[in-house]
Amino acid sequence: MDTRQSGIQQLLAAEQEAQRIVNEARNAKMARLKQAKEEAEKEVAAYRAQMEAEFQRKLAQSSGDSGANVKRLEQETEEKIEHLKSQAENISHDVVQMLLKHVTTVKN
Amino acid sequence: MNDADVSKQIQQMVRFIRQEAEEKANEISVAAEEEFNIEKLQILEAEKKKIRQEYERKQKQVDIRKKIEYSMQLNASRIKVLQAQDDLVCSIKEAAAKDLLVISNNQQAYKKLLKNLIVQSLLRLKEPAVLLRCRKDDLKLVESVLQVAKEEYAKKTNISYPDIVVDNKIFLPPAPKHDIGHETYCSGGVVLASVDGKIVIENTLDARLDVAFRKKLPEIRRRLFAKIAA
Repeated sequence: MDTRQSGIQQLLAAEQEAQRIVNEARNAKMARLKQAKEEAEKEVAAYRAQMEAEFQRKLAQSSGDSGANVKRLEQETEEKIEHLKSQAENISHDVVQMLLKHVTTVKN
Repeated sequence: MNDADVSKQIQQMVRFIRQEAEEKANEISVAAEEEFNIEKLQILEAEKKKIRQEYERKQKQVDIRKKIEYSMQLNASRIKVLQAQDDLVCSIKEAAAKDLLVISNNQQAYKKLLKNLIVQSLLRLKEPAVLLRCRKDDLKLVESVLQVAKEEYAKKTNISYPDIVVDNKIFLPPAPKHDIGHETYCSGGVVLASVDGKIVIENTLDARLDVAFRKKLPEIRRRLFAKIAA
């Protein structure tokens, strides 16, 4: 009678232990999946930071470029205007004479 | 069965139960690893893709804004150049207008000019009777060439002398005393009109300058933009 009792008890204990082992594995699995999320999020944040840094770098570089472009454009404009001014000085006398001639010449 | 056998069987069963549990735990563990990798990769790829798209969009906005800014600056500088052109052309006209003022100082030449202008206006009007207006200072000169003008007109058109009434109440405005300001002035010349005042020929030096200027504007512009010869 005792051996049967202890035998059943042993089996019950084994079942319990089995259950414990499986539960432990299941919990470990949940923890592992949670870890997946956390690790992924960390890497995503790092990726974002990298993209942002690159973006800012490009931004700084291009604003430097456009500053140079603006200066160049302004300079070209000034040159064009100076050229026009000196050209106007050159032709002014001749043009004025031509106009005066037209005014004072009457073809009847 | 004796106790020993039972005990042995029980031990076997206990071992079996344990083994099964451990195998199951192992399966779970392996599956967990696989799912870990898949889940992590999926999240990473999805999020990275979103971030990439976000930054592409940001970059595009920046590029567009840059293009717009550059285009605006280009326009502004073009307008500046066009404005300078316009100013220069105008200043040439102003220089001519200034020179107009001295024409009437040369009495002989101016007298001849007045006569020609009167004849030209008569030819344009083709009226037997006309009204004439001039500057107060030019009144004497005008009256001195009236007859000659009538004769020249009659000769050219084979019509009898026209009747010219010179307005000695209202005159064209005089030349400016000092520099040209904003008041109306006249550099010389005449204005003729039909008797009913409906047809008016403005043959003042100033009006003639306007006409000549407008006519010659394309040529003046062309000369302004010609490249300076090296």
